[in-house]
Amino acid sequence: MVSNPLVSEQRELAIDFAALEPVSDNLATAALSLARRFAAGATMWCVSPSWPAHGRHVAVEFVHPVIMGKRALPAVFVDDDDLLGALRVMVRPGDLVVALGNSKDGKIASLLRRAEAWGLTSVWIGAGVHPPASAADHLLWVDGVDPDVAGTSGGYVLLYHLLWELVHVVFEHPGLLVEPPACTDEVCITCSDEGRLVEVIEAGEDNTALVLAEGHRERVDTTLVGVPVPGDLLLVHAGTAITALEEGGW
Amino acid sequence: MTPEPTNFLYPFIDSEERDSTALLVDLAESARGKMAQSRELQLSTLSRCADVVETLATEMAARFARGGRLYTFGNGGSATDAEMTAEMFRHPISGRPLPAWPLVEDRAVLTALANDVGFELVFSRQLIAHARPDDIAMGLSTSGNSNNVMHAFAEAKHRGLLTIGLAGYNGGAMADNDKVDYCLVVRSDSVHRIQEAQDALVFELWSVIQRHLATPPLTDHRSMEGSSL
Repeated sequence: MVSNPLVSEQRELAIDFAALEPVSDNLATAALSLARRFAAGATMWCVSPSWPAHGRHVAVEFVHPVIMGKRALPAVFVDDDDLLGALRVMVRPGDLVVALGNSKDGKIASLLRRAEAWGLTSVWIGAGVHPPASAADHLLWVDGVDPDVAGTSGGYVLLYHLLWELVHVVFEHPGLLVEPPACTDEVCITCSDEGRLVEVIEAGEDNTALVLAEGHRERVDTTLVGVPVPGDLLLVHAGTAITALEEGGW
Repeated sequence: MTPEPTNFLYPFIDSEERDSTALLVDLAESARGKMAQSRELQLSTLSRCADVVETLATEMAARFARGGRLYTFGNGGSATDAEMTAEMFRHPISGRPLPAWPLVEDRAVLTALANDVGFELVFSRQLIAHARPDDIAMGLSTSGNSNNVMHAFAEAKHRGLLTIGLAGYNGGAMADNDKVDYCLVVRSDSVHRIQEAQDALVFELWSVIQRHLATPPLTDHRSMEGSSL
C-alpha cells in the first residue's frame, strides 16, 4: 500500500482553525443575546438556502439537545422558495433568525435587512467575503476561508455546536437572562435622532403608509419618499419616512 | 465554565448576577478551548485512521468506477451529516461528481416505512429497493448503536455492498462487527466533538477518493474499462 504523504504530526486540516478562533468573541455575545431572547419566549427561525442540511442541523440541536437534561428550545428550519413570504407571516416580534450561507446569498441578505422592521434579532453564520457589519446583529464569520470548505469540512458545524453549547451555559446564569433596559438616560433609539428601518405593509392615499416597525404596525408619513409598494424598506424618523432604501442594497 | 464549587451555598449570588462582562469573557474563553479540543481530536483521528482511510478510499474509488452508488444514513444531526456527505460527493467543490444520496431525504418514504414497518427498518427497506452489489453503504451514529443504522448494515452486507460505519465513543455495536467492513471511530465522549471529527474524516475520505479517481493506479486499468466515469 502506498503510504499517505499527508500523515505527519504537522498535517493540516481542511478547515483553518486560526481563522475560526477569532469568531469566539462574537459567539459569546450571540449566545448571551440568544439565551435572553429564548428566556423571553422567542422562537428561533433557521434558514440556509444553499445548505438546507446545515439549517436542519441547527434546528435539531436546539429542539432535541444532545445532552440529557438540557431544555428543548423552539427552533424551526424553514425551507421555502419564498422565504420572505413564509417568514413574514410566521415570525413574532422578539423572535430570532439564524441564517447560514455566504455573503453573496441574496435570499439571506434580503431577509436580514428586514430583521429590524420585523423585530427580530439576527445571527449570520458564514465564511469568505465578509458582509457589512450592519448585515446582522451577530456575524459569526470565518474570514479568509472558502465557504464551500467551511460548509463541507465541519467548520460551520463547529460554530453552531458552540453556539448551542454557550447558550446553555448562559442559562446557568439566571440573573443575566433578563434583558437590560433598552432605554437608559444615555441611549434611546426611540427618543434619539436615529432613524428606524420599517417595512411597508400597504400605502395609503393620504401620503401615509402602514408599516411594520420592530414587528408592530404603525402609520408613517411618506410625503418625502413618494408612494411605496408593499415590502419596500423605509428609513423613518419621528413618524416621517425620510429615505426609501433601494431593494438589493444593505 | 464550571461554576465556582461553593456557589451552591449562595444561590442568590447567581440569581442577582447583573453584569454580563465576566460571563462574556468566560464564554469566549470556553469557545476557544472547545475549538482547540475539536482541532486536536480531528488531527488525532485523521492520523490514527489514515491507513484505513487510504485503503477504504481505494475500494470506494473502484466501486464508483464500476458504476456503484453511495447511500448515506443516520439520525438527527447524523442525518444532516449524511445529507452533507452525499452533497459533497454529488456536487464536489472540485474534482469529479459521484453518485450519492442520503436515505434520510424523502419524508414520504421515511414516514411510510416508519409507520408501516417500524423506524428500525427505514434505511434497510430502502436498500432492499435500491442497492446493487457494487454500491456503498455509509452509516453515521455517534454512539455506534443506532438500531436502524445497524439493520441497514446487515441488509447492505447481505447484498454485497461495501459497508462503512462512522461512530464515536468506543465504536459501540459497529466496532468488531462482521456487518461493518470499515469502522471509523472518533474516540471521544462528546457528541458534538465526535460529529466535527466525523466531518473531517469524511472530507478526508472524499479528498483521497478524488485523488484516486484523478490518477487511477496502473493496476486498476481493467476495472476502469467500460466505466462511464
